[in-house]
Amino acid sequence: MKTTIQEQDGNMVAILEGRLDTAAAVETEKAMNPLNDVEGKDIIIDCTALEYISSAGLRIFLGILQNAQAKGVHVYLKGVSENVRAVFAITGFISLFEFK
Amino acid sequence: MNKAFAFVRGKLSVKVSLWVVFFAAIIFNIALGWFFYQARDAVRSEAVSRATQILDKTSLRVEGILNRVEVASNMTKWLVLRHPNKADSMFVYSRGMLENNPDFYNTSIAFEPYHFKERGRYFSAYTRHIGDSIRTTQGGSESYQYFYMDWYLMPKLLDKPCWTEPYIDFDVATNTSEMVTSYCQSIKDEEGKVIGVINTSLSLNWLSQTISAVKPYPNSYSIMIGRGGTYFVHPDSTKITCQSIFTQTMEHEDTAMVALGHAMQRGEEGMKHMTVNGTDSYVFYKPLGQTGCSMAIVCPESDIFGGFDRLRRTVTIIIAVGLLLMLFFFIRIITSELKPLRRLAKEAETIASGRFDVQMPDFQRVDEIGQLSHSFAGMQQSLVKYIEELKDTTSQKASIERDLQVASSIQMGMLPEKFPTRDDRDDVQLFASLTPAKEVGGDLFDFYFRDEKLFFCIGDVSGKGVPASLFMAVTRSTFRTVSAHESMPDRIVTIMNRTIADMNKNHMFVTLFVGVLDLPTGRLHYCNAGHDAPLLVGDGVGELPCDANIPVGFMPTWKYTLQEAHIFTGTTIFLFTDGLTEAEDANHAQFQMERVNDVAENALANHQHEPRQIIERMTDAVHQFVGDAEQSDDLTMMAIQYIKQQDEEVRMRKSIVLPNDVKVVPQLTDFVTEVCETMGFDDMDTMKMNVAIEEAVVNVMNYAYPAGEHGDVTVEAVTNGMRLKFTIIDSGKPFDPTVQAAVDTTLSASERPIGGLGIHLVRQIMDSINYERINGLNVLTLRKKLNNNSI
Repeated sequence: MKTTIQEQDGNMVAILEGRLDTAAAVETEKAMNPLNDVEGKDIIIDCTALEYISSAGLRIFLGILQNAQAKGVHVYLKGVSENVRAVFAITGFISLFEFK
Repeated sequence: MNKAFAFVRGKLSVKVSLWVVFFAAIIFNIALGWFFYQARDAVRSEAVSRATQILDKTSLRVEGILNRVEVASNMTKWLVLRHPNKADSMFVYSRGMLENNPDFYNTSIAFEPYHFKERGRYFSAYTRHIGDSIRTTQGGSESYQYFYMDWYLMPKLLDKPCWTEPYIDFDVATNTSEMVTSYCQSIKDEEGKVIGVINTSLSLNWLSQTISAVKPYPNSYSIMIGRGGTYFVHPDSTKITCQSIFTQTMEHEDTAMVALGHAMQRGEEGMKHMTVNGTDSYVFYKPLGQTGCSMAIVCPESDIFGGFDRLRRTVTIIIAVGLLLMLFFFIRIITSELKPLRRLAKEAETIASGRFDVQMPDFQRVDEIGQLSHSFAGMQQSLVKYIEELKDTTSQKASIERDLQVASSIQMGMLPEKFPTRDDRDDVQLFASLTPAKEVGGDLFDFYFRDEKLFFCIGDVSGKGVPASLFMAVTRSTFRTVSAHESMPDRIVTIMNRTIADMNKNHMFVTLFVGVLDLPTGRLHYCNAGHDAPLLVGDGVGELPCDANIPVGFMPTWKYTLQEAHIFTGTTIFLFTDGLTEAEDANHAQFQMERVNDVAENALANHQHEPRQIIERMTDAVHQFVGDAEQSDDLTMMAIQYIKQQDEEVRMRKSIVLPNDVKVVPQLTDFVTEVCETMGFDDMDTMKMNVAIEEAVVNVMNYAYPAGEHGDVTVEAVTNGMRLKFTIIDSGKPFDPTVQAAVDTTLSASERPIGGLGIHLVRQIMDSINYERINGLNVLTLRKKLNNNSI
């Protein structure tokens, strides 16, 4: 599981690659931590290379979203695969996030 | 006449007035009757005394006159005897007598023939009044030979002075006649030889006038009769000397008159009430001295009582008029006094016709009518109030009845209506029936499936009707709420008991049987809180052993015990309330457990022990037993038959043992992916299966073992071609992940809790999740039905 955070076109972009399962969640959460400090910019989570997500990963996403919404920051998901999107659908997360 | 009666009956004023006047008339009549009677007596005695007085006076007067005649006669006789031979002196004497007694009619001193030789054969010194003068003549002559007259002969023959019967004295000189009576006495010389007779006459007419002069009453009159009854004095002068008192009685018999005549002849004195000449009269009679005459005063009754009768007539008229006036005024007064009553009656009629809001008149009176009007107004107010209350009560009752019907349908709606049969499920079939004794009842049953477990309960609330039904609803919803998070019946019942006991202020209770049947294994966990033990109908009929737990609702701290049994395929669990065993027939005999057993055994013997069959048989038996008697208690039955066939053919079995560390998740992923590949799942199904198993295993790893404690988690995958089953087993503390609350996926991001997603994902992806604690192990089973190499 690889997590890259970079600023791109004035947005904070997190690129997730691999399987975000429970085992990878702790590390990924840490890696995504900078997103919690974002202000005045939009957050884009690039899921193009995300193969798998479990509830541990969803919890990270929800934490970022709740944090960002409190500050008025938009969180966009980008390139979500059909598989991952199915998990989002089952949990109702699909209506919480904005997809690009 | 009838009309008049009806009028009087309809008019209180007339009726009361008539009564008053009627009684007044009676009292007046009695009083006046008595008064008149007494007064009449007084008048009569007054009349008697008056008449008697007058009679006495008159008779005294008559006697006085007669005496005077006798005395004058005696005096003259003395004078005649002093000078018996001087004829001329006789004229003087005769004249002197009349001069001294002007009321005498005449007098004659008559002598024997040739007494005075020189005077010839006849000599009578006769003197009488003619007008105011007195004339004295010599009376005897050839034509009037006086010595043959009665008045001359009687004293000579009787040898004593006497009064003659009346006779007519004819005066030749004046050619007048007069009815007279004479006192005669003979004159005797010294030798005792009669030489003459002195005759002194009184005019009967004059006597009659004298007697009649005094009248006690205007129409009264006097009579006088002689010895023979001949009238001497009578107002009808034609009767004098011509008729006697008896003359009339010859023509018309009149005993009273005869008696009067005899009494007067006998010289009696008295008073008689009789009819004289057709007039009611009082006759007072009395003898007149020694004359042998008797006089009587006849007083017509009408005279005596004339004044009295006038008085009586006047008084009677006054009273009659007075009573009529009284009647008139009474009717007027009572009518006017009763006017408010008529008005009240009218108002009352109006009220009676249903208009309760009419204004009652206020008469401003303090008498009974005022009180009545007051009471009436009070009554009207109360009436209005009561009618309002009655309306309220009636509408409330109707509303309560409607509510009860709604409550009944709500209560029935609470109960499961769809019962799974062999066609719906391959593991269990179920049927139940509830018949409340009233609209709503206190019995309950419920069942539902969760995670390949059948949760069911049956209960009976103490009492019946609405209170019991409310309690039933509470119990049922508490069962649903609690059993959503708890899978162990003892826990469910304990929590329910605590919840219900806390809010149970009315000391009600419910006997409850809660069971959880694990459908894949047939393992039954149950807890019986004071309910009738269910029957197991399978390999024979027997009761399910039950611990003695108290009913729910009494003691919040009671710890209910858990019991466990294995239900074999084909066995039916028959649950019921005491409405079955205690169903009563008309003689209050109860159905009892033996009959329940008999029916169950019979059903089993006939292979008719499927849920619906056994309940129908039981229902028929109860109806037959009870007959027409009223259902005394709610009757509830539930039958559950376990039908799972355990002959599953295993097509694949793989397993892996992992430590309780989430770092090993990739190993789990490899294992699951391998299974999925074996099953021929595509990427999506593989991913979903991975998510589900990862979530379940991680959940166990996180919670079954305390932090820092090491343990293993075994994951086994088995398929029979129909289903894929993952079993996750650990030896940690009892932990049931299935009792977590469901996730609300509709909440916004800020409202969404961070936890709880894992089990939600498992439930969504897998067909069932089932937790069992078996032999100290937590056994979590996840199943997925297969559909042609996909899920």
